[in-house]
Amino acid sequence: MTRIKRALSLLSMAGFLVLACPAVPAQSIHLPPHEKFVLKNGLTVLLMEKRGVPLINLFAIVKTGTAADPAGEEGLASVTAGLLRKGTKTRTAQQFAADFDFIGGSFDAGAGADFSNISGEFLTKDLDRGLELFCDVLLHPTFPQHEVEKILAQSLDGVKSEKDEPQSVLGLYYAGYLYGAHSYGRPSDGDEISLKRIQRDAIVKFYEANYAPGNIILGIAGEFDAAEMRKKLEERLGSWPARTVPNTAIAVTPPEKGKRLLLIDKPDATQTYFAIGNLGTAVNDPDRVAIRVVNTIFGGRFTSELNEALRVESGYTYGAGSFFDSHRAPGPFEIYSFTKNETTVPAIDLALQILEKLHKNGVTQEQLASAKSYIKGQYPPTIETSSQLVRRIVFNEFYGLGDDEVNQLEARVDAVTPEIARQVIQKHFPLENLVFVLIGKASAIGPAVKKYAEKTDARPISEPGFWPPPAAVQK
Amino acid sequence: MKAIWSRYTVVLWLCVLGMAASPAWAQSREFPVSTRTLKNGMKVLVQPDHSIPNVALYIFYRIGSRNEHPGTTGLSHFFEHMMFNGAKKYGPGDLDKVMEANGGSNNAYTTQNVTVYQDWFPRSALSLIYDIESDRIRDLTFDPKKIASEREVVASERRLSVDNDNFGLLDEQLWANAFIAHPYQWPVVGWMSDIEHWTMEDLKHHFEMGYSPSNATMVVVGDVSPDEIFQLCEKFIESIPSHAPPPPVTTVEPEQLGERRLVVHKPAELPLLLIGYHIPQTNNPDYYALNILRSVLFQGESSRMYLRLVDKDQIALDVSSFVQPAFDPTLAILTVQPRQGIDPQACEKAIYEELDRVKASQISDQELEKAKNGRLVEFYREMRTISGRANTIGTYEVFMGDYNKLFDAAKNYSAVTKDDVQRVAKKYFGANNRTVATLLPEKEEKAGQ
Repeated sequence: MTRIKRALSLLSMAGFLVLACPAVPAQSIHLPPHEKFVLKNGLTVLLMEKRGVPLINLFAIVKTGTAADPAGEEGLASVTAGLLRKGTKTRTAQQFAADFDFIGGSFDAGAGADFSNISGEFLTKDLDRGLELFCDVLLHPTFPQHEVEKILAQSLDGVKSEKDEPQSVLGLYYAGYLYGAHSYGRPSDGDEISLKRIQRDAIVKFYEANYAPGNIILGIAGEFDAAEMRKKLEERLGSWPARTVPNTAIAVTPPEKGKRLLLIDKPDATQTYFAIGNLGTAVNDPDRVAIRVVNTIFGGRFTSELNEALRVESGYTYGAGSFFDSHRAPGPFEIYSFTKNETTVPAIDLALQILEKLHKNGVTQEQLASAKSYIKGQYPPTIETSSQLVRRIVFNEFYGLGDDEVNQLEARVDAVTPEIARQVIQKHFPLENLVFVLIGKASAIGPAVKKYAEKTDARPISEPGFWPPPAAVQK
Repeated sequence: MKAIWSRYTVVLWLCVLGMAASPAWAQSREFPVSTRTLKNGMKVLVQPDHSIPNVALYIFYRIGSRNEHPGTTGLSHFFEHMMFNGAKKYGPGDLDKVMEANGGSNNAYTTQNVTVYQDWFPRSALSLIYDIESDRIRDLTFDPKKIASEREVVASERRLSVDNDNFGLLDEQLWANAFIAHPYQWPVVGWMSDIEHWTMEDLKHHFEMGYSPSNATMVVVGDVSPDEIFQLCEKFIESIPSHAPPPPVTTVEPEQLGERRLVVHKPAELPLLLIGYHIPQTNNPDYYALNILRSVLFQGESSRMYLRLVDKDQIALDVSSFVQPAFDPTLAILTVQPRQGIDPQACEKAIYEELDRVKASQISDQELEKAKNGRLVEFYREMRTISGRANTIGTYEVFMGDYNKLFDAAKNYSAVTKDDVQRVAKKYFGANNRTVATLLPEKEEKAGQ
């Protein structure tokens, strides 16, 4: 379900004279011990005891995400997840809210390209109650018609609300333009057209087809006793009937050739938001650690080449960077920034120059040493809490990665050389073949940005959908 | 006001004060804090935690937009940016490069009340961080080229968060109308025309005014021992001379004697509604009761406002409330995201009816207990990371006057009664005390005119 994000709280993330020796002691990064078992019905369970804070975090992945949304019904997986808490065999939506809120717990469910996710958090002393509630919505949702209508209407308004904040929707237009009809290009939370097509039938079918024990990984981390927890899970989830689940294949698209540009017109914009890039990598790409190191240098931290050029030296923007958003199949690679209308072209020109320099010069030994130190030094706070840890082990399980993903990170990072970096730049960072997506005031910037691509497209932001323009709903 | 203006924000390009409730948690022995006040007046709080080999080091300066004046609004926030742009030993650009090359990262934020500098680093970089911090507190420099480019950066930040953000824009207007005398009236980022006119003299004066070590509190949480921190402070920080604190802010906002209303017309898909009610500063006995009231009204999908506006009447997508830590009487802001095509006044009517309900009859025992449980979990969430703890310890020390009050919050929440909740509802949430800000979508054709 689309959330209405308000700029009330700052998203201040850590991550998110060059000295000779690396500053971080070796072998300090490792995953705490955890265990895995599979119930008779195929449900995979991961447990990690973590003492010190009396909280328990649950995180479940259903191995079907928005890639399984039927064409024209984008948002189905997301809405199905959102409806879990909106009525079960023994509770109304309001009763669930009252029960979960009473213990001070939090609950959330949604869907992304590769999977649907359900999370819950509560105090150790409320384990039985919290577990009962979590399992109730996972196993016994009823999708009441009036709740279905409510959530669809809210989601629809939610999409419109997101369009009032250009930086919130830039990624959606970008993915759409980059991927076209491919499932990764479709908006996970749906759009103004697709949400009108979704019916209760489809939601129930989606749940019945995909929410099966063999299709789920449930992780729990926090202050509890693993043996006791296992018993409770066997009791609550052991008799959930097994059934087979259709596999959602995700096609691998080849990268874009040539250059294309999409301009989304927001006539009152005084600032242009832009994204530039091409296809990136899959989660388990063998080059992933080297890519991470190179991207840290290029656009992945405050002193990155992109941010240095576009913010620190020129003052064009408050922020510029780049990232690889990896999925089961290759996800997007994106360079992003924003700048006032008048400096749109200089800023984009500069970003492209920095990209060219990366290909031409590669990265130096000094830059590598700095980036390695940064990645290693900034990593421990990303696995500090049981909430972070449970997600880490569940993702590892889902994507077929092991504990080494964490435990060997330092060694893998240290192994990256300038030559390896050069190969990785050549292979994974685009240069001549680029997709551009801009949100801004077309009357101010339209003519000037045509130079970036052989082919240009345009749409007003107020038109329903993202890209490709959706067909209208058949009445 | 958008509460926090920071050095950088992680924007999702794709996709408070911690509280306690029952006596069972939040014991001072669970989180032992050692303190020392340096000879130059800076107070240092250290809370060792060896669970990860990292450190969070925050410095809270008691200076913010409330210390500014018309013509130079936004200076505190601009200054915060300039604190990274070059000092004597670490010149322009060096601070970030050196810190990141040693595994560290940083940020900072400015509010109406304080400017806070945040460093996160592996303990191996401890001594280096102190070298960097002492350099800029003692010998910050102002390079005209840097001033020019950083001015553009701040303007870009303002455009991102206010000019091109409907919530930010409306919030700015709300504060400007709710306060007719006190400095909380103007935005932390500053009016655009003030951004364009700051001079080097303004910056120097601001540095002299606000950045005395005696005007700061340092909080260190993580893989350290108090002794080693105090030794580093002696070596790097203690000899930095102190001077007078900023002049006190003496303007008192006169009592608001009637409802104020404002409208903003802007291209938008959806309208927006913000209502601000005057409430006391953080360090006030009603603080805990007010937080409980807000939980009952807004926390979770079983809260009164959610049930009424989002679930039952279906006239809003979202409702929430927000209060920021403050030295002076401030606002409790209610935010409503109306559905498309809904008249925001329909949302107002529902809000006022629910407020009337909570004034007319007491909340239930269950609601009271639920609110306290919610605050308990929230407290643990704040305290379970070294950075959350640094922020919470620092915020209590600075705004409540004593970090130990963090461990009193438990019994203060326990002590809140249904009477208290009803009393604060009646006292603060009346019509004369409110400022109502509405954003109405303007048709696109008009935007070009």
